[in-house]
Amino acid sequence: MSNEAQGRRRIVLVAGVTAATLGLLATAGCGAGGSGDSGGDVTIEFAQWWEPELPDGEFQALMDEFEKQNPGIKVELISGPYAATKEQLFAGAASGTMPDVVGLDGAWVSDFASQGVITDLTALMGDVGYDDSELASQIQVDGSTYMIPVVNFVYPMFTNDALLADAGVDAPPTNRTEFADAAAAVTDLGDNTSGWILPLSLETPNGIQNDVMSWAWASGGTMLADGGPDVTNDDVTSAVEYVQGMWDDGVIAPGSFTMKEQDKVEEFTNGRVGMMIDSLAHINLIREANPDLEFSISAVPAEDGYEGERGIPYASWGIGVAESSEHPEEAFKLVEFLMSQETNAELSSIAGAFPGNTKSTPDFVADDELFAEAFEIYQAGYPANEFTGLPVAEQLMRLFGEQLQVLLDGGQTVEEMLEKTQAAWEAEF
Amino acid sequence: MQDVIVAPAPPAATPQPPRKRRPFRKTAEPFGFLAPTLVLMFVLMVIPVVLVVGYSFMDNVILTKEPEFVGVDNFVTVLTDGVFLTAIRNTLFFTISSVVAHLVIGLGFAMLLNSPLIGTVSRAIFRALYILPWLFTAAVIAVLWRMLLAPNGVVNFLLDTDVEWLASPALALGTVTFINIWAGYPFFMVSLLAGLQGVPAQLHEAATVDGANGWQRFWSVTIPQLRPIIISLTLLDLIWTSQQFALIWMTTGGGPVNVTEMLSTYTYKLAFSRYEFALASTSAVLVLLMSMVLAFFYVRHQRAED
Amino acid sequence: MPKTRTSTPADGSVRTAPRPRSKIERRRSRQRVGVVIGLVLGAIFAAAPVLWMLASSFKSNTEIFEFPPRLITDNFSFDAYTAIFSDPEKVQFFVNSYVVSFSVTTLTLLVAIHAAYAFSRFDFPGKRPINMVIVSVQAVPPITLLIPYFGIVVALGLYNTYPGLILTYMVFTLPYAIIMLTGYLNTIPKELDEAVRMDGAGSLTALWRVLVPVSVPGIVSVGVYTFMIAWNEYLFALTLTRTQDMRTVPIGIQLLMGQHSYEWNEIMAMSILGSVPVLVLFLFFQRYFISGLTSGSVKS
Repeated sequence: MSNEAQGRRRIVLVAGVTAATLGLLATAGCGAGGSGDSGGDVTIEFAQWWEPELPDGEFQALMDEFEKQNPGIKVELISGPYAATKEQLFAGAASGTMPDVVGLDGAWVSDFASQGVITDLTALMGDVGYDDSELASQIQVDGSTYMIPVVNFVYPMFTNDALLADAGVDAPPTNRTEFADAAAAVTDLGDNTSGWILPLSLETPNGIQNDVMSWAWASGGTMLADGGPDVTNDDVTSAVEYVQGMWDDGVIAPGSFTMKEQDKVEEFTNGRVGMMIDSLAHINLIREANPDLEFSISAVPAEDGYEGERGIPYASWGIGVAESSEHPEEAFKLVEFLMSQETNAELSSIAGAFPGNTKSTPDFVADDELFAEAFEIYQAGYPANEFTGLPVAEQLMRLFGEQLQVLLDGGQTVEEMLEKTQAAWEAEF
Repeated sequence: MQDVIVAPAPPAATPQPPRKRRPFRKTAEPFGFLAPTLVLMFVLMVIPVVLVVGYSFMDNVILTKEPEFVGVDNFVTVLTDGVFLTAIRNTLFFTISSVVAHLVIGLGFAMLLNSPLIGTVSRAIFRALYILPWLFTAAVIAVLWRMLLAPNGVVNFLLDTDVEWLASPALALGTVTFINIWAGYPFFMVSLLAGLQGVPAQLHEAATVDGANGWQRFWSVTIPQLRPIIISLTLLDLIWTSQQFALIWMTTGGGPVNVTEMLSTYTYKLAFSRYEFALASTSAVLVLLMSMVLAFFYVRHQRAED
Repeated sequence: MPKTRTSTPADGSVRTAPRPRSKIERRRSRQRVGVVIGLVLGAIFAAAPVLWMLASSFKSNTEIFEFPPRLITDNFSFDAYTAIFSDPEKVQFFVNSYVVSFSVTTLTLLVAIHAAYAFSRFDFPGKRPINMVIVSVQAVPPITLLIPYFGIVVALGLYNTYPGLILTYMVFTLPYAIIMLTGYLNTIPKELDEAVRMDGAGSLTALWRVLVPVSVPGIVSVGVYTFMIAWNEYLFALTLTRTQDMRTVPIGIQLLMGQHSYEWNEIMAMSILGSVPVLVLFLFFQRYFISGLTSGSVKS
């Protein structure tokens, strides 16, 4: 073979590989079409983490119902894992591929609103003439609504009745002293049991909201003053001192510093923990996983002698509409549908949560003793989650969590801890 | 085709004739080989990296439509942040311990698996067992080890202890490092195993004839032969381990307090917890600069190898 | 091949030695015991956690957390596996992962072997800067690249497509493959391919006829690892896909880690299922580890 031929062949081959790579880039460029309008129909994208959390097919069935009621509108569900939803929305917003309707957590609202990613629902509701009187709550930033809580997961106290009885505690504790005594008694049972369980993972720092701050809220306390942070006040101080006291008494289950909500519920389900503050969403899970476990639900204990209304922490599946949506009216139709009396009751039932529509009554309230009990607690108190709507809410919890870990590890006093947290929070507001 | 070596031609004489006829093709040829790589890397890697570098000099990118140029402000902010320095210290400990352990364990296992003293079948079985940690995505490795190391987990049960492996500030960094060692050694093992196949037996024979024992043969024959591979592996592992994110994030989240805070978790929090995207980019650029030092030594070494 | 009963080494060189056993043979035997003990200890270190994972995939969620822990529990069942196989969506995750990972591996090896050849055997202007860029861009934390990268992928129309994922993974696997293959090529004596080229064959002939066959173990190891990177990647797989029918296995696993609770047993089952194909692949390809440039065995 001549050198010429060799050379030619070589060049052809190299060119071939290059062309293949470029070709892949190019064909892909042509192949990917935009989603959306086909045949006059409007397709709205709905990004959320709810579908995988619910029983298979149930959420899709609701969407099918919506499409039936609203001919001409198609809904495409974009479902992702909860832990990554926030980043995905953030990346989507930055690249102009934001879905029309988005599932939101109360902790993100302020951030997305201030970035102009989600639209002002107050204005939108005005445009479409929506009557918001049935909405249980609306999450506002600077006086405008950006998120509507669709369903709420409240966090009451769960008690393992058998463990408490073994420890000589007859009824679920109602105040802090009783709770601490009960926790100590359960821990004294030995055999790997602990009185209380406290997840403080810094990856998902919502333990600060659900398991720590709830102590302050349950006694009518607050962590804010005039919309700014006020964690050095008496409410928070006494709650933190109380948590520290239990930590020092050794009644809290080991592993707190890296524990997450999902671990907490497994420890409780396995009967190793006497009491926990936890989401109602777990009732069915606990029953399925351990049918023999006897447990009950009560309000989070308040300060001794406190008689007022108790704040009960909650987390929401909220909904918002993208600022960039080309079909805001159709998008809002979906919001309206999810908030309607009937749909909202149905969604609440399958999610094991309380409805965001005041008129809706989920099935379980009538059928299920525990849920009925929880509903009573819910109605006797008021939903309290001061993190909802705060800027960088998750970061605030994380900062609090880091300082709390230092405190519990013996690295500082309560005053130092709260002062540092206050300073760190002020920097973020 | 002889000699495509343009610059310092080795002393080994190469005949010249056709060389002068096609100087262009001589130079063009390696570029032809590199073309697909270069096109892809430029479009999908260099451009985003350049954008990130740009962000690091801006104020509040992504969030605001018209970010302002702020010079090196971001760099000052990040470099004077005590947590960033902690993160560097932790990352160094984590990375260096991991890479050294990966190399030692990987080489050890590769030598064991390459030993002529075991049969083919058992060799195949052990090889398959040894690559097991490779096969799982980081999230699963994190979940698995959280389960194993939980206060009521199987490790504590077997050791009859109740240690908080991940939650104790004293142990957490060591524990995540251990998990990373477990997860990462097969990379070295398999690569070195492949490399060992290329060590010519004659070299061992010659060394044996010279009276070298096993240990001496290891140092004088095996290691020098594997050197190019070990260098490539170490470089890659240093870079990869220093940005290990999912494993740390999902086991400790950078805690307790900040004993396992790494550059990767620090950067993540800046970007997605505080929405300080410019600062996150700055932190990324600092990581890039540090690794460029590594890359520089690697490239220089490549040169020396020629 | 010796069936290992008589403690003869694999190369059979001592097989002819008559009894009484020579001193060398006795030392061999001791060494062999040492090697076996080492191998078993190593196997425990490597495989015990995975064994636990396998066991957990057969348990109920509650049993996974019971104390004292047991390897086999009362509710031993294949429910987690049934749940995965009966869900077409989850099966689709596996299909997607296969398509993407196989494409990435093939293309990466094809492209990288040429690049490695250029770095290992040629000198050309700009070699050092190019090499340095390829090495160091890997160090930028992917999480910060996410947003600008996403923008480019959307602009190119690659969002939610196989090529989008494939090209993305190649960007991450190519530097690795090039660096490793350059390393392997550097261990091969230059005289080998130079001799061929001296005979008038082209550079590509030298690469494909001489270097590639000789570096098969290296190529296989790079290929297997490339496959692993593509198979296990999560962050970009999630960001660059949108619809459920484009998602890959790691996302499927993450979807089981819910806001309030995890499907622990299904997570484990899906991971085990995900690992099987790679294990099979490795078992198949590892025969290439034996045929190398030379036999590789240490002869006495």
